[in-house]
Amino acid sequence: MGGILDAELFGTAIRQATPLILAALGGLLSERVGVVNIGLEGKILMGAFAAALGTLLSGSLWVGLACALLVGLTLALLHAVATQEWRTDHIVSGVAINLLALGLSTYLFRQLIVPREEAGESSVVPTFGAVLLGGLENLPLLNVLVKDQSWLTLFALGLPFVLLVLLTRTRWGLRVYAVGNDSQKARMMGVPVKRLRYLGVLLSGALAGMAGAFLVLAATGQFRENMSAGRGFIALAALIFGRWHPLGAAGAALGFGFFEALQMRLQGQPVFGVQLPTDLLLMLPYLLTVIALMGLLGRMKPPSDLGN
Amino acid sequence: MFLARIAPALLGALMVLAVLSALVLAAGKPLGASFQIILQGATGYPRGEAFGPLDAWDAVLHDMTLLVLTGLAVAVALQAGLFNIGAAGQLLVGALVAAWVGAQVGIPAPLHLPAALAAGALAGALWAFPPAWLKTHRGAHEVISTIMFNYIALYLTHWLVTARLKDPAGDAPQTAPIAEAARLGMLHEAFLQASWGLAIAVLVALGLWLVLYRTVWGYEMRATGANRDAADAAGAPTARRMTEAMLLSGALAGLAGAVEVCGVQHRFFEGFPAEYGFDGIAVALLAGNHPALMLLSAYLMSALRSGAYHLHAETGAPKEIAVVVQAVLILYVAAVYLRKRRIEG
Repeated sequence: MGGILDAELFGTAIRQATPLILAALGGLLSERVGVVNIGLEGKILMGAFAAALGTLLSGSLWVGLACALLVGLTLALLHAVATQEWRTDHIVSGVAINLLALGLSTYLFRQLIVPREEAGESSVVPTFGAVLLGGLENLPLLNVLVKDQSWLTLFALGLPFVLLVLLTRTRWGLRVYAVGNDSQKARMMGVPVKRLRYLGVLLSGALAGMAGAFLVLAATGQFRENMSAGRGFIALAALIFGRWHPLGAAGAALGFGFFEALQMRLQGQPVFGVQLPTDLLLMLPYLLTVIALMGLLGRMKPPSDLGN
Repeated sequence: MFLARIAPALLGALMVLAVLSALVLAAGKPLGASFQIILQGATGYPRGEAFGPLDAWDAVLHDMTLLVLTGLAVAVALQAGLFNIGAAGQLLVGALVAAWVGAQVGIPAPLHLPAALAAGALAGALWAFPPAWLKTHRGAHEVISTIMFNYIALYLTHWLVTARLKDPAGDAPQTAPIAEAARLGMLHEAFLQASWGLAIAVLVALGLWLVLYRTVWGYEMRATGANRDAADAAGAPTARRMTEAMLLSGALAGLAGAVEVCGVQHRFFEGFPAEYGFDGIAVALLAGNHPALMLLSAYLMSALRSGAYHLHAETGAPKEIAVVVQAVLILYVAAVYLRKRRIEG
């Protein structure tokens, strides 16, 4: 076991966790205002595609990132309009958005990026480099947490604390709480329910788009078909496991990222002479979430007005 | 009155055509010729050999068999007010168990096929039970728990087929082939190259139609879905009906997996097509959750898939055109037919 739990493993874990944290916090902002968001997966996927295409066409990582945010916002706007104006069931809209993203990103990938590859041009984009903190990254603990990480990861690690303050210490945060718990009462108290819902869903789309951008612009440098690979659903699991709390959700996302890193490390490597089945490690986040749903880890209470 | 009723459907059909045209044009393909190819793929006429052993019509019937069953699975749960996103996982588990039972020796030949199909359905039902229990006893949203069980099924079956139940003859991650006695035959060797699974699917659809609309049990189930509080007040055992609907839903998805194993694949393998479980959602929504309309809805969706696949094979246009159209269709149906009734200021 000695050679397995090293700083590199934790570094990988935090990299794996970054898109999960971003998407889970996105899901949180949406569900806290009462809008169920199972479309995170699709927004991550479309965000990843937009990041790759935008960067390929412009040559700038920042343009790629902006494209990812924009696409995430657009899909979120669709979800907001569908659920708030057309009164569509939140789940159905989310399912449709996931399908739309899968179909469109693959279709556009085949039309716009694959021909470039076939013509011999590279479809690999540069990635955001590691942030240097002037030697701070070599201090104990920090060398495990933030060394060799891109700014997107640092942003994801800081965001839960920012959100916690915003949600508990500002007028907006209290209004979000009111809308999530009883939108009728909030409306009667003069809270602009619809505006808060739009804002929450849109922010959620931007964060999911950013999670997708991370996959291309920091993790791999390349878009691949269906590359979100279920991360939107793990993020949803992290959100529930973390009980709709910013620190809880981010903590759960970090834990799930750790399982992924461990799984990558253990691939084909025996521990104490035993070959651990990596499938069972990959299953762990979902299994833990089910156990949490069973109420074995304390009471799980979603925002009471969720889905209306 | 009649016109007003069918106007949204006509508008929907027009929108599908518009989206389809836009995607074909954006892929740089001529519209007229492309639609001809799509129609050929969707109807199988004129017959061609674009799919190797399966021609287009056979592909439509094959997809339709699975989509009727997964569509019914999603619909039964929705009728009771539950959203079973877990049909994909239930299908996987059902397929694996059916393949395992089908490959066992010592089961009397006449019983082998029914045993394999029943085992697949039972496994699917069992896989749907925890989400049902979590819903009725812990109030956990079934969408979340069925998503979790999809992934658990995915990794569990992957582990089993690569490690525990792998066919010892060969290196491929697949189970041993099932016995001849456990296989579903073809409906007709010459012009209906679909397995008896299609007949099973049609019978199940008609049976469910009767059960849901002609029995007290079905009525209570639909009442639970329409308004649980009202059904409770009227004395219907709503928690029970929800659990039963979920089990039936899982059984139907498991049966879809078993039918695919016994009728077509004859074994379980890594990467077994679980996506039919997700496509069942679109099929169910398009049919308005009605069991009889499921046949039409599943046919349309299969025709769309086969048409897009045919276009892909002939011209190289991305076959994901079908996925995009399906997504647009779901949103349209949901926005037009499934609006929430809610009073809001």
